[in-house]
Amino acid sequence: MGNNILSIDDVKKILPQRYPFLMIDRIIETNLERVVAIKNVSINEPFFEGHFPDKKVMPGVMMIEAMAQAGIILVWFILSQKKDIEPNKHRIYFLGGVNKARFYQPVVPGDQLKIEVRPVKIFSTIGIISAEVFVDDKKVAQAEISFSIKEI
Amino acid sequence: MSQLEKEIREIIAEVLEKKPEDIPLEAHLFNDLGADSMMALEILAAIEKKYKVVVPEENLPKITSLKKILDLAESLLSNKKKTKN
Repeated sequence: MGNNILSIDDVKKILPQRYPFLMIDRIIETNLERVVAIKNVSINEPFFEGHFPDKKVMPGVMMIEAMAQAGIILVWFILSQKKDIEPNKHRIYFLGGVNKARFYQPVVPGDQLKIEVRPVKIFSTIGIISAEVFVDDKKVAQAEISFSIKEI
Repeated sequence: MSQLEKEIREIIAEVLEKKPEDIPLEAHLFNDLGADSMMALEILAAIEKKYKVVVPEENLPKITSLKKILDLAESLLSNKKKTKN
């Protein structure tokens, strides 16, 4: 069974976010239990200009955004497997809550984030996912993220 | 008060960031206690995890009080017992 790898072109068909807010480069695993996303953190990230001028650290809020975007891919996949749901309909996802967020070590230019997201509870209009972020197999962050889903 | 009622009241209190004694049995979660649909989903997710049951989507609009959540949990748990036997 394949891992359902999604290229950046596939990711852009699912996520509405664009530069400088597209926080996923590639999806390396997609199934009903989890999605694994890759985000390469480069010195050219716009947020490094100000965060901070003398010490480059990826902002925690951007890590949350990356986790939430990986979560969108997971929800898109789960909903697309359900018969009663139109997979290609345009949906917009609103952040509803962030729980149990923890940041264990700073993320710096050159790090590759491996973001693993799992469903906690997904309904057609509302959902909760849990996310863990790894760099070199060491956990650097985690959060539980809830959001509402609107078809447009 | 049953053990189940005590446990579910604690789950609701934690999600709503209130004390268990501030969750009356019949109080309306949205109108009286300030909950929203996201909190309702968090309550359902916590119940699923604790009691190893699956709450179908159509139940989401129905859970408007501790009493209604308790009724739902009781029926899910009794169905679970039946399928096991």
